[in-house]
Amino acid sequence: MTVLAAIRPDDINVALLVHVFGAMVLVGALVTAATAGIVGWRDEAATLRRLSYKTLLFVAFPAFIVMRIGAEWIYTKEQLDELPEDPDWVGIGYVTSDLGGILLLLALILGGIGLRQSRTGGGGLLKASSVIATLLVAVYIIAVWAMGAKPS
Amino acid sequence: MRRPGGGRVKVGPVSFYDWMLALHLLAAFSIAAALVLYSVLVVAGRRMDSLEQTRVLFRVAPIGGPLIGAGMVLVIVLGIVLAIDSDDFQVWDVWVIAAIVLWAILGEVGRRSGEYYTATQKLAERGGDGVEGEVLARLRAPTGGRLHYATVVVFLLLLLDMIFKPWA
Repeated sequence: MTVLAAIRPDDINVALLVHVFGAMVLVGALVTAATAGIVGWRDEAATLRRLSYKTLLFVAFPAFIVMRIGAEWIYTKEQLDELPEDPDWVGIGYVTSDLGGILLLLALILGGIGLRQSRTGGGGLLKASSVIATLLVAVYIIAVWAMGAKPS
Repeated sequence: MRRPGGGRVKVGPVSFYDWMLALHLLAAFSIAAALVLYSVLVVAGRRMDSLEQTRVLFRVAPIGGPLIGAGMVLVIVLGIVLAIDSDDFQVWDVWVIAAIVLWAILGEVGRRSGEYYTATQKLAERGGDGVEGEVLARLRAPTGGRLHYATVVVFLLLLLDMIFKPWA
C-alpha cells in the first residue's frame, strides 16, 4: 500500500491539482467562516455572521464540489477501485469528506434560515452555522494530515 | 463507487518522511487558508460604504497573520527536510529551486499587500475628519487588490510547481 501511495503517475497531476485546489479553497473558506462567526459572536449587528454564512455558501460549497470531483477522478485514475480493500488514508478521506459534506449542508440550511431571521432580529442559527464551520476546520485538518501522511 | 472496507477506518504506521510531508502539506494549507480569508475580505471590503463597516471587517483579518507567517516558515523548513530525506529528488533539482524562488517572491509580494491593508486598517482605527472617504477609496482602489491577487497567482504557480514538478 505504501508503494502504491508513493506512485503518482504524471497523468493524475491534473486531477490532483483539481482536488488540492478545491480542498485548499474549502479549508480557507471554512477558516474564514469560522473566524468571522467567532469574532462577530457577541455583536448586535449580524454583519460578520452574515459574512460567515455567505462565505460558506459562495466559497466553501463550490470548493467542496471541486474537491470531491478531484478526489473521485484520482480514485479512478490511480485504479484504487481495483484494490481488494481501500488503503486507510483513502478510508479516512471518504469518512471525513462524507461527514464534512453532511455537516456543510447542515450549516448551509441552518445558516440560510438564520440569515432570514437575522433581518427581523434573530440570528441564533447563524451562530450554529459558524459553530459547524469551526468543527469542519478540525475535520478537514485530519483529512489533510491523512492525505499527506497516507497511513497504511 | 466502492467504500472503505466495512466502513471501519484504522490508522496504520506513518514513516518520518510521510509525517514531514503531512506537516508540509498542512503548512501549505495554512497559507492557502490565509489567502482565501484575505480574498474574502478584499472582495467584501470593496462593498463597504461606512467606516464602521470597515472596522467590523478588519476585526477578522488578524487571524491571517499567524496563519501565513507560520505557514511560510514551516513550508520551507519542512520542504527542505523532505528534499534532504528523499532519494527521489534533491534540493538542487530545478523544480525545488523554482519552488524556493517562488516562495521568496510570495513572501515579498505578500508583505507589500499586507503593508497596504495594514496602513488602511490603522487609518480606519485612527478615525477623524475625511478618514472615511480615504479608507473607502483605499479599499476600492486597484492597488491593494492587484497586490493581493498577485500574491494568489504566485501561490498558484507554487502549487503547479509542486504538483507537476517540471524537469524532475
